Amino acid sequence: MKTIVIYKWFRSAASALVRQDGQVDWGGAKMAAGDDDPAALDIAKAVAGPGGTVTGLTIGDGETAWVLARGVERALAAPAVGPLTDELATARALAQAVRLVEAADAVEAADAVIVADAAAHPGVAPALAAELGRPVVLCVSSAAADGSQITVRRRVGNAVEVICLPPPAVLGAVAAGEEARPPGMMETIRARKKPVVELPVTPPPEALERRGTRPPARLGARLFGGSPDDAASALVAALRADGVL
Amino acid sequence: MTFELWAVVTATEQLAPLVAAGLSGGAAVSAVAVGPLELAQTASGMGVAKVYWIETSPGLAAEAYTGAVGELARRSAARAWLASAAPGPRALLGAAAAATGAGLTTGGVALRLDGEQVVVEREALDGAVIETVAANGPIAVVWGLGEGEPAVGAPPAEIEPVPAASPWAVESLSIEAAGGGLSQASRVVGVGRGVRARADLALVEELAEAFGAEVGCSMPLADDLHWYAEERYIGRSGLRIAPAVYLALGISGQPQHVEGVRGARVIAAVNSDPEAPIFKTATYGIAQDLYEVAPALVRALRDN
Repeated sequence: MKTIVIYKWFRSAASALVRQDGQVDWGGAKMAAGDDDPAALDIAKAVAGPGGTVTGLTIGDGETAWVLARGVERALAAPAVGPLTDELATARALAQAVRLVEAADAVEAADAVIVADAAAHPGVAPALAAELGRPVVLCVSSAAADGSQITVRRRVGNAVEVICLPPPAVLGAVAAGEEARPPGMMETIRARKKPVVELPVTPPPEALERRGTRPPARLGARLFGGSPDDAASALVAALRADGVL
Repeated sequence: MTFELWAVVTATEQLAPLVAAGLSGGAAVSAVAVGPLELAQTASGMGVAKVYWIETSPGLAAEAYTGAVGELARRSAARAWLASAAPGPRALLGAAAAATGAGLTTGGVALRLDGEQVVVEREALDGAVIETVAANGPIAVVWGLGEGEPAVGAPPAEIEPVPAASPWAVESLSIEAAGGGLSQASRVVGVGRGVRARADLALVEELAEAFGAEVGCSMPLADDLHWYAEERYIGRSGLRIAPAVYLALGISGQPQHVEGVRGARVIAAVNSDPEAPIFKTATYGIAQDLYEVAPALVRALRDN
């Protein structure tokens, strides 16, 4: 099967500096690999299967070496699309890019488009599917394909669900574990020398206006200090006062 | 002045927070119930103006109905769309947003009409800030709050069946319960990488026994170290628990893990790093070495 994995399409919250007044400074933060990006790539490879092809796609300043160092031969980027506030606009940019890849491959649709079902941007994967006019399954932790069907496994609440759906489809991937074998420095250096194709994707207009940020009302836990016994006694007393102990 | 808000639901437990959010924001709330008739009937008694009911076929996942919800959205005048973060309703919300061109955002905690704009406050950057966004047209929000009280004693609203002509063949082949007693426990002790060796888990088990709690863990302890079975891993791709109290031991508080314990009534954390993100989520904390605090907690629990 032909699959497209979308990776490094948003910035990590850890890159943002939050000031005391709640203002956010992103500095020069780049698009980063999220926790779920390795899972998305694993799923893309599993669905593609032996003899299949996986194409890596990123936007903005996402570094293509990430996917090239992980065994993907073909990397494309849409550098004109930066971080967007509106998740529908992000999905529309990704959909444009996917269609350009498919047009270049002279196929009507890739069998599966796999994108991180990111906790910080959970609307993007379903909106991408809707923009592409394809079915979607979210929270996918593993997948396989048998030619006519894609079968996925996911954890929903406290249940494990197995779902099958026909290609072409969009899968939102979540990590069920840490990346098993991240590439070494040499693989990454070699990957940086590989060619990257740039896609002429135009950033879509956003329907959301940002009015600003502020600190949350509660800034954190009530911390108990003193000796370990003092702190433990105070915590137990607080839990009892709350009626949970 | 009011505005129309449509809440997309696939299960009854999703209803109350969304309806409450809409009503407290001054909206006229309708429900889009994708599921059995019982779901639509429950929604109709929760203070909504109307229920649009898309009946699901046995064996099909909620995601099969994205096309039907998209069609419904195109003929809607709703200014706001809400859904929980669960995968089914979220897939349907994405379809509604794409069909209407709605601005799409996440982590909503409050909304209101401000002049001609719908304004949403949302948790951003893992809860480090509250961001305010506004839309002149429709807005779709993955709602961030899991609690809310709907109107009590409301008259039942009209239920309008909506045909779903050609659902996608997204078939649910099997669903198996996971997590055992941990998923239902009222007290849970969660353990993370702050525990240095497998043998030290005896310390955790002793505390859990004194606490009357089940033991769960963060992802690395199940996936990487294999100290606990996969069924005990708590997080976004693992168990989601809602105990009365969750005690996090040596857990840093990565978003992956925190999402699995958001349903806890009280979260207490022990971590030697006072800057650990878990202290932003927790109600109570002790920023000390868990190897000293855990035995002290056992003593405190047994002494009283």
